[in-house]
Amino acid sequence: MMQTSKEARTLIEKFRKSEKQKSFQYDFFADESKYEKWEDVKIGQEGMAERSFEVKTEDILVYVDGSLDKNPLFRDEKFAKKTPWGGLIAPPFLIVPIIFWCTGTGSGSWIRTPGAINPGQKIEFYEPIRVGDTITITAKAYDKYIKREKKYLTYLSEFRNQKGQLVAKWWGTLILPFSRSNEEHKLT
Amino acid sequence: MRVPEKVSFDKVELDYELPSITRHVTQELITKNACASLDFNPIHVDPVWAKKVNLFGVGKTIAHGMMTMTFLGQLITDWCYADGGKLKSMDVKLIWPVFPGDTITCKGKVVAKHPRDKGQSFVDLEISAENQDGQKVGVGKAEVILP
Repeated sequence: MMQTSKEARTLIEKFRKSEKQKSFQYDFFADESKYEKWEDVKIGQEGMAERSFEVKTEDILVYVDGSLDKNPLFRDEKFAKKTPWGGLIAPPFLIVPIIFWCTGTGSGSWIRTPGAINPGQKIEFYEPIRVGDTITITAKAYDKYIKREKKYLTYLSEFRNQKGQLVAKWWGTLILPFSRSNEEHKLT
Repeated sequence: MRVPEKVSFDKVELDYELPSITRHVTQELITKNACASLDFNPIHVDPVWAKKVNLFGVGKTIAHGMMTMTFLGQLITDWCYADGGKLKSMDVKLIWPVFPGDTITCKGKVVAKHPRDKGQSFVDLEISAENQDGQKVGVGKAEVILP
């Protein structure tokens, strides 16, 4: 079985800071045999993500730091209070760590498939995310197709906060390898 | 320092170009972004694996497509969020890989205005991200509600 190289692990461990980052299984090869496969997905099937995401200040900070975002609206409560938002909010794309955190090795786990390629995404944003929110995700298998000899899979994921308000709808698509990565990328 | 004029739906004109933003991508940034986004796909974080499988025929890792989309998000949040603007939707095709060493510039232009009830009016933006060679890496559309 393949695993993440020592070189990669060293760099990852250097940058892990938050509680969630430290407890997260970062070796995507480790549970690979459990991930949903393109072949097994039935269009229309629905599932709730394995766990929810409680938004802490550090979750927002590591996201803006890891994407070179200096906007004080996402960093400085004093500044944010003076804006029409009335307080600190998360940048819209905090939904990325939220989906990876919430998705375990069950429904939707194909997003971790080693070698998967992102061909582009469609997202609608609704309520902003704030510190203290608890976000949950329900996902539905929306489409799967073969195009130019590549396999595409799309899930529609709905993100809601603890009040039941819609936060985002994400038509998430990836190109998946034709077989498991260790066969697809067979070493010769 | 001159205080910049507040962004508003009434004042923004068609063909207005948003202030562009530029981000330099390194393996360190990609791995940091993996930690930030919890997307540790070896395609992004593992140069040894990328070399072994000769990824894209160049044997290098690629940056997260969601990092490019996050940069495109910053183009919009830098422009109008402090004034109460809000990203309503983004639909982007990622058409070229971003490699460590690339410098990505994000651009946006107002192409349509949708007057609605107060607080709901929005504009359509044509948005794109391109690398240092002028090769577009991501292209698409965003809808942004403006105060």
